[in-house]
Amino acid sequence: MKGLRLLRWSGSVLSPRTRPCCFLHKYQYQYRAQPFNLFRLQSSAAVPTRTIPEPEDDTLPPDPTDYTLLPSPPPSRAHSSARLSALHARLVLPPRLPLETLARCLIDPSADVNPNFNNASLSILGHDLLGYYTSEAILCRYPRLPTEVTLAAVYAYCGSKTLAAITREWGVEVAAAPGGEVDPGFLQCARQEAGNASVNGTGTQLKDLSNLSEEVSTRPNPEQQMRGWRQGASSKTVYDDYFGDEIKRTETDYSERPELRQEDAQRKAERRVTLEQASTGFVRALMGAVYLHAGKKACYNFFKAHVLSRHLDVSRLFEFRQPTRDLSKLCAREGFESPVARMLSETGRKSRHPVFVVGVFAGKDKLGEGSGGSLDEARIRAAVGALKGWYLYSPLEVRVPSEATEGKPWEPVLVDGGEVVV
Amino acid sequence: MPVTALRTTSTAQNGVGAFILQCKRLDFHYCDQWGSSKGMNTFLCSPLIASFAKAHPQITIHISPRPNTHPIIRGTYINGREKVICVRNLEKEQILQKVELLRDANGEKVKRVKGGRVVGSLNEGVRGVWDPFHGGNKDILGDRIVIN
Repeated sequence: MKGLRLLRWSGSVLSPRTRPCCFLHKYQYQYRAQPFNLFRLQSSAAVPTRTIPEPEDDTLPPDPTDYTLLPSPPPSRAHSSARLSALHARLVLPPRLPLETLARCLIDPSADVNPNFNNASLSILGHDLLGYYTSEAILCRYPRLPTEVTLAAVYAYCGSKTLAAITREWGVEVAAAPGGEVDPGFLQCARQEAGNASVNGTGTQLKDLSNLSEEVSTRPNPEQQMRGWRQGASSKTVYDDYFGDEIKRTETDYSERPELRQEDAQRKAERRVTLEQASTGFVRALMGAVYLHAGKKACYNFFKAHVLSRHLDVSRLFEFRQPTRDLSKLCAREGFESPVARMLSETGRKSRHPVFVVGVFAGKDKLGEGSGGSLDEARIRAAVGALKGWYLYSPLEVRVPSEATEGKPWEPVLVDGGEVVV
Repeated sequence: MPVTALRTTSTAQNGVGAFILQCKRLDFHYCDQWGSSKGMNTFLCSPLIASFAKAHPQITIHISPRPNTHPIIRGTYINGREKVICVRNLEKEQILQKVELLRDANGEKVKRVKGGRVVGSLNEGVRGVWDPFHGGNKDILGDRIVIN
């Protein structure tokens, strides 16, 4: 398996922020509070014929140190931020990752729409890396997990809630409002107003407004999806993201296919995000930045240290509806004898708190055991125990596919038939 | 629907993978007039503070005057809490000890851990919880339990 050489084409992703230079001047003109641009770079269109009423005191160029003209802190200020370098040291980031890139990771697209200065591109790369590393770790460690549980486990490791918690635990603070004058060590994002906040002067709540409707899914026939069409578990592996959630149309989709925008005329004009979304974007962008600057190995170590080392009890993710039926189907599929529940011991059958211990047997093999206050409860617990024993099988030596690119010969891992279909 | 899943989040175990120092900021306040700040002023002029700052790049250090009061050190922690120590009339070595105390704290309220040897774990015990139905050699004969 051949590793992708992302460093070769990552120049377009990295260039502006990593090279602090005299970029600031051009950038400021781009964002001056003017009706339209006076400075037209690489444009072949005709010069606008409107004359601009020029104020008399406009002869002076704008002050290059007036950072309030910028939507986000310029890269040149990254080295003067104590908060930023403390964050760099706290996370033990590789020294090859410059402070400018770390500062760029902290700028959400809601704060700065310019893709050269926000973390959108890094975040896309980091999301794919996080999803890839997490799902390969779970699939190789628990090859028999049902699809739904696999998706939930991936979500528990690198879902948006977890990444927001990671941001909090890293000690990253959020700027009250984004701007060029803000310390670059803060997470910069334009915060969404709470849904229960009322619109000025009216009693209407924000969530009741029609223009705040749901974003549109990328699945085929999105308008029919909204009518409650059923979505099977296996379709999630085809259409949806790493966690089984629908993928929504993004700005990139609209720029590639502008006709989509007219279809979704109800979308909000101004994009504001929740703190959870901004934190998620930051952690993903940092993951992508570590990959681009320090390489694959450093990226995987960073992932292991901060994401995979977190604690998750996978056996608590299951929710069975009819475990006894599932178990008999599973035994039929695997060629075992059909399961029989037998009582192993009991106490106080006529008392207020009886306890029954029931085992589930296939032939002479005991598949599971459970205890409960009634015979039915004990039997169901025994079936759940047997099913978890099957689904949570874990090989002794776990190897993941990404290791195969590091020179070690690859040995195939177990691919299971999946969960039973009832 | 055979089996569905519950969505949760994984919990952090600081130090299992990466270790994040919980102290993120130290504020040193001194006074030029009062004698109780003498040790603090010596500490701030000595190489002790510079070497401490160099050894702990993850802590931002802020030094500011606070006239006509006793000198204090204030630690700010990742959980959002603060811990303040008044260092009036202390020598610079004693102040360094207080700084290290603030560095090593996690910002939680100081709580007494009762019960002597208390071990907390997120994992279940390997042996499980004792119950009367397993382990012993018991035979159930009718309503009579025979323990061998």
